[in-house]
Amino acid sequence: MALFKKKKATDESYYLASQWALMWRKLKKHKLARFSLAILSVLYVLSLFADFFAPYGLEEFSSVYKNTAPTRVYWQDEEGRLSRPYVYKLKKVNDRKTFTVVISEDTSQKYYVAFFVPGVEYRLLGFIPCSTHFYGLVNEDGVPDRSARLNIFGADSNGGCIYSRILFGGRVSLTIPFVAAAISFVLGILLGGLSGYFGGWVDNVIQRLIEVLSAIPSIPLWMALSAAIPPGIPVAAMYLYITIILSFIGWTGLARVVRGKFISLRNEDYVMAARLAGVSDFKIILKHMVPGFLSYLIVSLTLGIPGSILGETSMSYLGLGMKAPATSWGVLLKETEDLVSVAQCPWKMIPLIFVVITVLAFNFLGDGMRDAADPYK
Amino acid sequence: MSKGDRILDVRNIHMRFESKGVCVRAVTDVSFPVLEGETIGIVGESGCGKTTLGRCIVRAYEPSEGSVMYTAADGETLDFLKIDKQTMKKYRKEIQMIFQDPYSSLDPRMTVLDIIKEPIRANYPKMPKEEIEKKVMDIAARVGLNTAYLKRYPHAFSGGQRQRIGIARALVLNPRVIVCDEAVSALDVSIQAQVINLLHDLQQEFGLTYLFISHDLSVVEYISDKVGVMYLGKMVEFAPTRSLFSHPLHPYTESLLSAVPVADPTVKIERIPLEGEIPNPANPPSGCFFHTRCRFCREKCRQETPEYTEMEKDHFVACHFAQELKLRGFDYGEEPDEKQQAE
Amino acid sequence: MSGAKDDVILRMKDLKINIKVDEGILTVVRGVDMEIRRGETVGLVGESGCGKSLTSKAILGINDKKCKAEGQILFDAEGTGMVDLLSLKPRGKEIRAIRGKQISMIFQEPMVAFSPMYTIGNQINEATLLHITKDRKKAKEISLDVMKKVGIANAEKRYDQYPHEFSGGMLQRALIAMALVCSPKLLIADEPTTALDVTIQAQILELMKTLQKDFGMSILFITHDLGIVARMCDTVAVMYLGRIVECASAVEIYGNPMHPYTQGLLGSVHKIGTKGQKRLFSIDGTVPLALNLPKGCGFYERCSKRIDGVCNVHDPRLTDLGDGHRVACFACTGCPGKEGSVHE
Repeated sequence: MALFKKKKATDESYYLASQWALMWRKLKKHKLARFSLAILSVLYVLSLFADFFAPYGLEEFSSVYKNTAPTRVYWQDEEGRLSRPYVYKLKKVNDRKTFTVVISEDTSQKYYVAFFVPGVEYRLLGFIPCSTHFYGLVNEDGVPDRSARLNIFGADSNGGCIYSRILFGGRVSLTIPFVAAAISFVLGILLGGLSGYFGGWVDNVIQRLIEVLSAIPSIPLWMALSAAIPPGIPVAAMYLYITIILSFIGWTGLARVVRGKFISLRNEDYVMAARLAGVSDFKIILKHMVPGFLSYLIVSLTLGIPGSILGETSMSYLGLGMKAPATSWGVLLKETEDLVSVAQCPWKMIPLIFVVITVLAFNFLGDGMRDAADPYK
Repeated sequence: MSKGDRILDVRNIHMRFESKGVCVRAVTDVSFPVLEGETIGIVGESGCGKTTLGRCIVRAYEPSEGSVMYTAADGETLDFLKIDKQTMKKYRKEIQMIFQDPYSSLDPRMTVLDIIKEPIRANYPKMPKEEIEKKVMDIAARVGLNTAYLKRYPHAFSGGQRQRIGIARALVLNPRVIVCDEAVSALDVSIQAQVINLLHDLQQEFGLTYLFISHDLSVVEYISDKVGVMYLGKMVEFAPTRSLFSHPLHPYTESLLSAVPVADPTVKIERIPLEGEIPNPANPPSGCFFHTRCRFCREKCRQETPEYTEMEKDHFVACHFAQELKLRGFDYGEEPDEKQQAE
Repeated sequence: MSGAKDDVILRMKDLKINIKVDEGILTVVRGVDMEIRRGETVGLVGESGCGKSLTSKAILGINDKKCKAEGQILFDAEGTGMVDLLSLKPRGKEIRAIRGKQISMIFQEPMVAFSPMYTIGNQINEATLLHITKDRKKAKEISLDVMKKVGIANAEKRYDQYPHEFSGGMLQRALIAMALVCSPKLLIADEPTTALDVTIQAQILELMKTLQKDFGMSILFITHDLGIVARMCDTVAVMYLGRIVECASAVEIYGNPMHPYTQGLLGSVHKIGTKGQKRLFSIDGTVPLALNLPKGCGFYERCSKRIDGVCNVHDPRLTDLGDGHRVACFACTGCPGKEGSVHE
């Protein structure tokens, strides 16, 4: 019944709402998608301003803190009274009996947790010189002190703060999918569009190519392609190569979506109407067809992002992608390769939680977007 | 050119769709003339090829064979189906179409203003903005749209109003022939009446020629000057409306007419039931396509294809025995002499 | 149609249906009173969105969960006498004994009414097995018998075929067979021929008429097509914006329509055989949305006979003009003040 579909009649803004505004309205109603969007925004903001939110820079290691558990934060002083949160410095102690080096807390001095503390200098967004960090430690006199460390997620095998490294790693892990998506997008629209528009042998060739590409198992393909990357190249170049490798497979699914949409839109009445009105083919594609499937493309891209994130993570994990000293979530997870380190330092699994949350959030968001993609139904 | 001159001459249109080795003959050898300013109704049941025929005539499809001789406004007569791209630019706008579904025929992503503007922009790229705007406003007001609402998107409009938008889009290029493909079928009765009246007024005002394709016989009878009946891709009968409805010459037309529900419980019409179903157009029967369901079927009908001939003045029919059959139509309750004479 | 009062098998009393939407509550059906007598065909006519389909579905309790029905639908059930269908649990035993057995329904789209996974015979049998007999052999016999009755040639062969092997008209016949297998007292036909071609439509309508005589059932015929109503129905109820605005015998409605909406509706349909270029009558404007309706008559905005100060203030109620011709319009029944003409 038509009545079900009609919205409130009095709302003028609804009448004037374009496709995107309508989609946004619908997406907002999807609670899980909204929640996911919020989580993703937080993650992206954290990564974008990683220099600020991370207490330590990528080069700040401390050999004392190697493989140490999350730093213990105290809320009570010695007498049991509530106090400003503080931590103790760790120190190496030689155990006289066993002749081993033991790491223990040095309770002689308290280091208080403070916000907006100066630390390592960095350039915010790449150009604003700055040294303030979101949080850090100060000594009893209120002077910033970097000899003690607050590793909320523990430290890795070099004594680096895992939390800081997650934020910096997110810069790679959270943007690679987008760059890969952009490349897939161009390839997908181009090849899918050619396939759908021309049909015939062009369509045949492209479809067979897609079938062959999607028949190749992805990990061996990555291995083959990454073997082609010369060793010892700079991190930035490595980053680019990885994305290209990832998008090499990503475009095939997209091209199929584009082709299918092209064919179905070609038979829409309004496309025929435009053709009868004498509108040129090029304009019809640009004005009627591309906007018609753009929303679907964005949806399938969103749903494809988790694949890219997992792709980057697994490639790096396998040692085919990013390598230390570059940081990505995959590189961080590489530390959990052996059972011993997982058993002794379970906090090294925390980056995995970030991967899982991000992938889930993208999936839920994509789900909501899929429902919103056609607001006219 | 003036009213009553031949504007379109549809000649031997064939349309075959081939896919996976199966050839479906959607339209087979359809010919009829169209005079300027008149309304030709095309009726038939689903799958009879009436929509395909309409689309062939506006050249939305490229027919397999046949020609549509079009006498343009400048007096030139040319085959609309064979003119090249350059010439097409000039004549394309003179033959337009109104679609059945008021929902799928408007791009939901464009404002109504842009939808009506689009044909002008495509055909007159150099026209100044103000002039385009004025033209759109004029035509929108003419078809009964509130011009204050033109910035809205189609989803803000009801089915009837959307159909008005579709009409405005077709009219904005000042066409001479409009193919209305089931233009009112998707609308509610009271809205249907509004749109039919509008189409009628526009015809009077602009001297339009309509090709009105519909399955609804009452609407077609109301609006048309001449009516063509299609069955399985063929035109089985073509005649002036009154002549066709009062004394059909083809048994299929007779059954079709008897099946129409009339909105009057006191009218008792004896139905002439049509046995069976429409045969598969991919595998049509031999001889006369209608013989499998015809109550007058004889041996000849199974073997020979009947010729489409002018049995009476302006009354074309494709039936071997059209002359002997005494078929019933609607009783108009007047001019009994003419009717008897015809029979 | 001219039976005694006891002959009423279904009586709706002030039926209201609300739908919850984001913007508020849509009152789609706003108080329908209606009666269906034994063996009678009642036509429920109206344009899309007037609530006719929801009304019919409320009888069977098969409306969407978002729809809330209020009021009473009394049905003369076998064995138990008059029961209020709305008071029964929507998935309970009682309503299931009535649904499909005593009241059945045929739909507009026969294509979607059948599952493509099972044979037609199987699906017709389902109802037989549920309500009549547990014996599979006997059930098949009954099903085949009904299939023959609805004019499916080669019923034995057709029994084992799948829906896609049937044409639209044949499927509608099969659907009717499925509805009739339990010899229901009331058949609800929701636009049963809208999706069919005219000649097939004529076949189906003819079939329904014969079957009605054979089975002695009542039919509630829901349609927007005034031609079909004229052909099929004894009594006609015209619905507008969730209300019945006029209700009378078919001859009366077509011969002497009282409500301006009925008049407009009839005027906007062209009758073949009256060729003459008179303009079709058309009702101005469109149907308003059933959300936050203003006070007064729902047709006020579009009415040609509206009385300012009356029609936009008071709500007209169905009033008998004598001979069972009931109409809800102040222009026909006189202004309020007269007893019983104001709907509070």
